[in-house]
Amino acid sequence: MSDAAIATKDDGRPDQEAERRRGSTLTTVLLRQETTLIFVIVVIGVLTTVRNSSFSSRANITAIASASVIYFVMACGASLITIGGGLDFSVGVVFTLGGLVCGWMLVHGVAWPLAVLIGVGVGALAGIVNNCVIVYLHVPPIIATLGTFFVGTGISTTITGGNDIVPLPSSFQKLGQGELVGVPYVVWYAIAVGAAFWFALEKTRFGINVRALGGNRQAAIGNGLRVGRLDFALYILGGGTAALAGVIYAAQVGSGQVEAGGPTTTLNVVTAVLIGGVSLFGGLGTITGVAVGAILLSEIDNALIVASIPPQYNTIIIGSILICAVAIDHVRRKRLYRQ
Amino acid sequence: MELISAADAGAGAPEEGAPALELRGLAKAFGRVHALNHVDLAAYPGELHAIVGDNGAGKSTALKIMCGIYRSDAGELVVNGESVTLHSAADALGHGIAVVYQDLALVECLDVATNMALGNLPRRGWLLLDRRRMEREASRVFDDLKIRVASVKTEVGLLSGGERQIVAVARALRLDTGIMLLDEPTAALGVRETARVGGILQELRARGKAIICISHDLEFVFNYADRITVMRLGYSVGTRETAKTTRDEIVGMITGTIGRDGAA
Repeated sequence: MSDAAIATKDDGRPDQEAERRRGSTLTTVLLRQETTLIFVIVVIGVLTTVRNSSFSSRANITAIASASVIYFVMACGASLITIGGGLDFSVGVVFTLGGLVCGWMLVHGVAWPLAVLIGVGVGALAGIVNNCVIVYLHVPPIIATLGTFFVGTGISTTITGGNDIVPLPSSFQKLGQGELVGVPYVVWYAIAVGAAFWFALEKTRFGINVRALGGNRQAAIGNGLRVGRLDFALYILGGGTAALAGVIYAAQVGSGQVEAGGPTTTLNVVTAVLIGGVSLFGGLGTITGVAVGAILLSEIDNALIVASIPPQYNTIIIGSILICAVAIDHVRRKRLYRQ
Repeated sequence: MELISAADAGAGAPEEGAPALELRGLAKAFGRVHALNHVDLAAYPGELHAIVGDNGAGKSTALKIMCGIYRSDAGELVVNGESVTLHSAADALGHGIAVVYQDLALVECLDVATNMALGNLPRRGWLLLDRRRMEREASRVFDDLKIRVASVKTEVGLLSGGERQIVAVARALRLDTGIMLLDEPTAALGVRETARVGGILQELRARGKAIICISHDLEFVFNYADRITVMRLGYSVGTRETAKTTRDEIVGMITGTIGRDGAA
């Protein structure tokens, strides 16, 4: 990445520039979001273990992993939207709706595979609504999805009358509570979803087009990319993964909860995406980074409880980390790109 | 990919044979504003044809008609002897016209090879991106231009203005079309970089491509163009062979002290 790209044959100057840039390779590695995050995760882990050794017990680490699954699955779709230059603030309520709709189907005798599919489908539908509002009403993504967030919150309370959907069939609960080779099912789900999104982003033409869209929308249009179709696909994926996370959560806790998601969920997901190194300005970001971001968020949640630190510190810490992450992103861009 | 399509087409004798791209009496109005009144232009294979003119002369409008962004109200756009109406940039590409936009339309966070293939990414199977082929094709274009490329995996955001301009030209070249349109290719470049881009354009011309280049930079135009068409207030004032004209004549045509060819 640090090589000068182009030089004519008898031309020495760009090579000197290459030398100059090569010197900053180490800085670039250190500035990689994953490196920083893993360091932070380890530091928090060590500090918390010193205070309460049960933090690094197998049971507790499994609990952190399970909790991070919810953030991560939602963040997969959300990060793709953000890399594509959009933003989705509606995830918190699409999450709730997914769990509720799936739960409602289950208690009305629908078989679980169909119920899950319909739950995820409702999320995709929410994504379509977001996309239509953005494209046809020309509302900026942040406002459009904030609007659908509020509308969705009202809808979820109205259709349930404010009551949780309980109890969900045990066959469904097993899906959220079982283990395979000592690892909870839900972690396997997250690995599967993450692998699929990583593949789509890094190995397919769709992934490149999404980066191009977020990196320079005008250039994407100028090069003949069908940006409308890309946007459409992105918001469907964002809604779908948010609802899927809601379904997984319902299976984990055994009920469809009206208060499952909300503003905090939305903000946590956006935070996981940004901490994970996805640029708010689009184009840059990786699924692995987002995974590490999601793990860091649930580690902090958990560590504060285990270390019996008052919960108000949680938001202070997460807020500070978020600001640092975005500031680092800015520095990174300045180092990488000429203005 | 066949890059050398008509290498033996003589660069020195543009008037022989049929024009690759011709504008005949092109007119275009936006509401009450007449951007183009009457534009004639003929660009031949193996020619670097510059379009010069003051701001508001209609250069960009003419270019946008040639690359399918606008449609003309009157007149004809003739490509390789066939009168065509272009409806999109993809349509223009289908007729063998590649465009290098003034803003270059590059994505900073993607590497050189990806930028060059954008909109036309090679695939393996029905899903996978064929990154190796993409990089190979990109390298081949640079090799062919005799430009050394340390790595086509470099992100475009790391490149200088001149390097970016070259990537944009290389992208158009990868499409291997007979006609290439460039909008102000040297506007953002220094002296050395301008020379480099000029050299590449001469190389392409020698291979028989018709290169149409809008430019403000008269020094660049006189150094590299074979013929110059001057536009003024929506009219083509006239076309001159660079070797047989002077800077004073071109400036006179631009400013209006020398009138339109054939006009009273």
